[in-house]
Amino acid sequence: MTAVDVRAAEAPGVAPAARARDILAFEWAKLRSIRSNYVTALVAMVVTLGATVVVAHALASTRAPLPAGLFTPLTASFLGYAEYAVLPISVLGVLQFTSEYSTGLIRTTFTAVPQRWAVLAGKVAVAGAVALVAGEALAFACFFLTQAILSGRHRGLSLDMPGVPGAVLAGGFLVCACALTALGLGAIIRHTAGAITATVAVIYGVAGLCFILPAPWKADIGRFTMAFAASQVLALHPQHSLFSPAASMLVLVAWPAVTLLVAGLVLARRDA
Amino acid sequence: MIELKRITKRYGPVTAVDDLSFSVRPGRVTGFLGPNGAGKTTTMRIILGLDTPTSGTALVGGRHYREVVRPLRLLGSLLDATAVHGGRTAYAHLLSVAVSNGIRRGRVAQVLELTGLDSVASRRVRSFSLGMKQRLGIAAALLGDPPVLMFDEPVNGLDADGVRWIRLLLRQLAAGGHTVFVSSHLMSEMAQTADHLIVIGRGRLLADMPTDRLTTSSARGDVLVRSPQASQLAGLLAARGAGVTVTDDGGLAVAGVAAPAIADLAAAHNVPVHELMPRPPSLEQAYLDLTGASTEYHAVSVDGEGGAAR
Repeated sequence: MTAVDVRAAEAPGVAPAARARDILAFEWAKLRSIRSNYVTALVAMVVTLGATVVVAHALASTRAPLPAGLFTPLTASFLGYAEYAVLPISVLGVLQFTSEYSTGLIRTTFTAVPQRWAVLAGKVAVAGAVALVAGEALAFACFFLTQAILSGRHRGLSLDMPGVPGAVLAGGFLVCACALTALGLGAIIRHTAGAITATVAVIYGVAGLCFILPAPWKADIGRFTMAFAASQVLALHPQHSLFSPAASMLVLVAWPAVTLLVAGLVLARRDA
Repeated sequence: MIELKRITKRYGPVTAVDDLSFSVRPGRVTGFLGPNGAGKTTTMRIILGLDTPTSGTALVGGRHYREVVRPLRLLGSLLDATAVHGGRTAYAHLLSVAVSNGIRRGRVAQVLELTGLDSVASRRVRSFSLGMKQRLGIAAALLGDPPVLMFDEPVNGLDADGVRWIRLLLRQLAAGGHTVFVSSHLMSEMAQTADHLIVIGRGRLLADMPTDRLTTSSARGDVLVRSPQASQLAGLLAARGAGVTVTDDGGLAVAGVAAPAIADLAAAHNVPVHELMPRPPSLEQAYLDLTGASTEYHAVSVDGEGGAAR
């Protein structure tokens, strides 16, 4: 009776870099082997660009002088985007965990990589990178598309105007921030429908509630929401009653950061 | 090898695993038996670090599973064959699992061939039968060529060919020096595969011994008696302290009194005896005796098939 040596089977000290590569390759392999992920991403792109064209044409055909606030040439670039890009990409974020919980695949994942924080980090890195690339691509595409349509009416902006590049970059980051918040909520809630509801509530719902609050509270509470913060970082002329664009950027970082921290604590403690 | 030291797992008021200790050694197939709900799957989930025990430790190769880097090279497991994403192809599923543990790509094709799935590798798992998913799960367990293997009810959903294939695979792995730990709720299945048995009931350890010793140590045989005056004979035997059960076809299954003593007793009272057959203890009966006692003290009558097993 010869025993297969257990010690020999252990990789003698796997380097941290190799471990990180394993985990990233694992998440990447899972992400790209599901066809519906491509479909969702494609739908998000097409619908967002389509909505952006509609908004830009509406703005271009307005005879009245442009109102302040929402309908500036800059923010108009992102109106279609906020509704149609953020949501589907966030749903993809939610599904990173909930699809594994609903199929039971999460147990395969945790058996292959039993360190739960490492699994979370891998998903954050891969889904975050994909969302950031998609977000930036869409942000620039929407900006150029909108400005191309507006320039015919001499209302267009160009990328070298002060504040414009930062706003467009922030617009791309917004998609990533929402997707990662959604990913964290998916890990905490585990059920797709519940997690999507929570995501919509966090991204849109809370801000919607703040919008109907009386004057001082609307800004005092609203500035902590993702939507108000997003409007600040995307605006050429930020509102003074809310946080500065820099502080609003922090708000956009804090939402996913806190959600993911809670997700990590829950994942590490809970039975899979 | 796998070692459990005083593992207890409670879910609220329910104790799923109760102070369970055992070790699983290399070079043999260790069967893990118990009725449904006995705590087999929970125990395996604890070994894999999926569930945290309320108290106690479970070690694989001397280490906690949750601390092992690239654990699929140490322990390959199959717990739930349906726990795969139906949208992935078999190849894509195995490839993702392989890269997670730094296992080379070529190994995926090898395990697909080993499990007979090479012709369906590019099909989506959604279209697989339970038996094919079972094979896919076994393929995933073998990916890292691990010294320790653990399967939860691996023959579920397999046809006769599949069952024979699994049995052969388990025996081959054990003969090659692997540690093989397989659960089942059917003794008949384990009797033909396992060298060693660990039996649990209600989360407690009931037996931990070589398969051939389980019958002799815990089960008692009985004697089948047929008589035209069965009820009179039953009364006489009961008066002698024997356990008497009436079988479906009117025979008496007598426990606690040997065949010669039954014959003498019948002769002394002029009761004719038409048949007197000592039945050796069966593994099945040993198992039922063990687990029956663990659940509650209800009568377990094992009729007819006593001589068939083993």
